[in-house]
Amino acid sequence: MARLNSDAQWIVLMGFMVSFALFFLAIVVNQSTVVGQTTAEAVLEFPKNDIVDMRSEVLSASALSGNNLTLVTNDISSLSLSRKNAIVSFRVSAAPPGSPYTKTIEIHYNNGVTAYNETTSH
Amino acid sequence: MINTDGQLFTIEGVAAGLIMLLTAYIVVGTTSLYTPGDSHISDMQLEQMGRDALHMMNTPNSSTADGLSTLQIVIKNNDIDRFRQTFLWYCNNRTGGTYDNLQFSADYYYRNNLTNDITQIHFTESRKPTGGEHPMRVTEWMQVDNSAGGSMPAQVEKRVQAVLVEVLIWRD
Repeated sequence: MARLNSDAQWIVLMGFMVSFALFFLAIVVNQSTVVGQTTAEAVLEFPKNDIVDMRSEVLSASALSGNNLTLVTNDISSLSLSRKNAIVSFRVSAAPPGSPYTKTIEIHYNNGVTAYNETTSH
Repeated sequence: MINTDGQLFTIEGVAAGLIMLLTAYIVVGTTSLYTPGDSHISDMQLEQMGRDALHMMNTPNSSTADGLSTLQIVIKNNDIDRFRQTFLWYCNNRTGGTYDNLQFSADYYYRNNLTNDITQIHFTESRKPTGGEHPMRVTEWMQVDNSAGGSMPAQVEKRVQAVLVEVLIWRD
């Protein structure tokens, strides 16, 4: 067996350091696609567009009155439940006395994961 | 008797073992390949763009009380040609060069007040879906007044109502 020789220790050490550095860089590259997937899935899953759109429709429906308001309220609730798997409930009432606004609108949205509640006046 | 001559060989052996383990870990972990399509990033972009196009169509040009949006006029008058032209124009237009090649299939859903049934009406499409596409579904709520001069299909009640427009959109 050859005699133990420690002359080139630092060369071996540098070799180790370079290989470990490459290893960690490879992990970073490997994870980058998965990070994009997590972000995209989170964005797709969160019903941002549904809520924004539903809110816009409710505010536009709140301009109606009487029977038309009742009909459109029922339309929105039924269609949400059937097509969006979301419970949508909203109520338009007169603003409290002294308020500079004329109407108070309460909006409730819940799809089992995300809930959104709002009370607004206009 | 304890002998410390082979210390360096021992350390070398441990280091080599670690390297082999890490190599095996990486090889096993990379057998499933991730492509950008798997990560749903293009789906996310497609959904947002389709929604923006529908929302642009549902934005009236004027803020007056009778200012109707393109989408409201199109649904009320059952004007499938105008819907197809406008939607494809919004989706496929680019700042320069050739047009994009997005395709769509549009439906809308309405509620019957007597039976409380939800019914689907197929509106129009730019191409029949074959089932091999990977479409995204975008939706837009809208309010349409079918009572005064509306020409929606005969089974839709003649009243003010909320309908849900659903569009499947895919890249050809």
